[in-house]
Amino acid sequence: MLQQQSSVARRIALPSLPAGFWFVVPAMFILVFYLVLPVLLVATYSFYTTDPVTGLIRPDFSWANYERIIVSPIYRRVFLRSLEIAGLSTLIALVLAYPVGYTLGAVVPRQRQPLLLLLIIIPFWTSYIVRTYGWIGFLQTGGFLDSLVSWVIPGRIEFGLLYTRAAVIIGFVHVFLPLMILPIYAATRSLDPRLLEASADLGAPPWRTFWRITLPLTLPGVLAGTTLFFIAVFGSFVTPQLLGGTGDLMVGNLIADQFGEAFNWPFGAALAVTITAVVVLGLLIFFRFANVERLYG
Amino acid sequence: MTVTYDVELIAVTKQFGEVVAVDHVDLAVECGTFLTLLGPSGCGKTTTLRMIGGFEHPDSGEILIRGRPMGRTPPYRRPTSMVFQNYALFPHLTIAENIAYGLRERRVDRTTIQRRVREMLELVALQGFDNRYPRQLSGGQQQRVALARSLVIEPAVLLLDEPLGALDLKLRRQMQLELKRLQSQVGITFIYVTHDQEEALTMSDQIAVMNHGRIEQIGTPEELYERPRTRFVADFLGAANVLPAIVRAADATSACLEVAGRPVTIQRPGLRPGQEIALVLRPHWVIPQPAHEQAQWQGRIVERVYKGSTISYRVQLDEAISIIVEVPTGINHCVYETGALVSLTIEPSRLHVVTE
Repeated sequence: MLQQQSSVARRIALPSLPAGFWFVVPAMFILVFYLVLPVLLVATYSFYTTDPVTGLIRPDFSWANYERIIVSPIYRRVFLRSLEIAGLSTLIALVLAYPVGYTLGAVVPRQRQPLLLLLIIIPFWTSYIVRTYGWIGFLQTGGFLDSLVSWVIPGRIEFGLLYTRAAVIIGFVHVFLPLMILPIYAATRSLDPRLLEASADLGAPPWRTFWRITLPLTLPGVLAGTTLFFIAVFGSFVTPQLLGGTGDLMVGNLIADQFGEAFNWPFGAALAVTITAVVVLGLLIFFRFANVERLYG
Repeated sequence: MTVTYDVELIAVTKQFGEVVAVDHVDLAVECGTFLTLLGPSGCGKTTTLRMIGGFEHPDSGEILIRGRPMGRTPPYRRPTSMVFQNYALFPHLTIAENIAYGLRERRVDRTTIQRRVREMLELVALQGFDNRYPRQLSGGQQQRVALARSLVIEPAVLLLDEPLGALDLKLRRQMQLELKRLQSQVGITFIYVTHDQEEALTMSDQIAVMNHGRIEQIGTPEELYERPRTRFVADFLGAANVLPAIVRAADATSACLEVAGRPVTIQRPGLRPGQEIALVLRPHWVIPQPAHEQAQWQGRIVERVYKGSTISYRVQLDEAISIIVEVPTGINHCVYETGALVSLTIEPSRLHVVTE
């Protein structure tokens, strides 16, 4: 009798966990061990110091690393430069990606969409570094671009794009473009074509319909794509290293250098924490300002 | 020149691949008419409507609106407005913004827009809904917003594509009357597409019955119901008995027919002896009575369906031919059981000749 009661009690006690709890356990495990703990570890390291003579890391609690970031103008300059490069790349990617996403989602018949989508995703399966290296051969002086143009227009033309900011932006736009296309595609796909007809019916020419109906209704996709793309670009360090000059290094390069060549892990950690904090804060303000909830309805 | 027609279609044809959706349709809609395009799905009624609205363009033929040939004029330059089947309200705009949409495209000033929106909300009895979003409204309310949004721009013609299809029966009946009232109030031409014959009969001044991309017959609800020209029209508009008949003798004004082995004389010119024809007889135009010897039409009830306001009987006249008879309930002498022998009173003037 007593045993029966306790087994009943246990059966009642179990479901008191939130519904679906066991489904998220694997994901939670991964997040805790590969995101939360590393971030905490990095945050802890950022308060450590490095012995200037031996170069050894000393467990400590010091704000010195953060002071250095705030006081020295170089970090602010690199941060603003990263913002500029990432912002410009995002803008160009948006202009390129929107027509592609729109055509794919709203113009191409449904049964042909998967194939075209695959074509956009396939480059993503190729190594990022390989694709970036490709641009070196394309952009370098006397490279493929120069020969191509000289072949069309006789004479010796050199663009000298490699190791410039333009090269960095081209590289970023190329490598991360699918991140922008896919959310825009998803948003235009769910766009009801009858809304566009209704708009035309009420007297709006195509460009007015785009401005008043298509764009507002696909804005969630635009925001998602912009955010994904911006974050991906802002933190990368391979593209500026391979395609940029010394004046095009970004925050990712600074951090990578501290962990690599300079071997100053505490300072690198402080840089990483600062950047993460600024980006997260910026996104929060951005999303509050954009009033995403109203858009999603 | 006075334009008496708001919409004219001249030999309009539209093909989608191999399928001829609309086949040489001629149609003239007088100003201020409530015209219904009625027909089964795939009969071309929606394509016809979409061509008038400018969403599709005819392969051949011409559409005139207020006497002006439309050619390939896009929807935003036509004096028409469409109420869509799913309403197609803009989900990111409030009710007031939805209604103001067309006015803003016409660069109407702000105060006029506010006044017109208020008037329209009043017209469709949705005062105070200005700042709600479409998703916060019921189907019937969304329907009225769609109407207001189209009417506010004062179109020459309002096009309605099965706008009541998504509503439940009771609301649909209510909206039918409301639409009819609204139409006579604003006085503009309505072209309404539906497959619901009851809806068409209730609301229309004129009904055009469509089948296989052609207009089978056009006329007032009475004309179509009481004098259908083809078997299809008779069948589509309400229940109909279609009886095969043979012309035995005919003169200039009348004809003697043989129907289910019985002689019948009808007043109808133009029939030839020996011709095989079909007769339409509405089920409630026949009165059943207890069987008596000298009755010409007699048969046994083989089926009985109680429908609430009416009872319908299937009466077997001979081996091959049976007819449906419908009588109102509450008349006791018309209540029979299955298997009963009844005489039928059929007025020969009610027998209507149709072509196949």
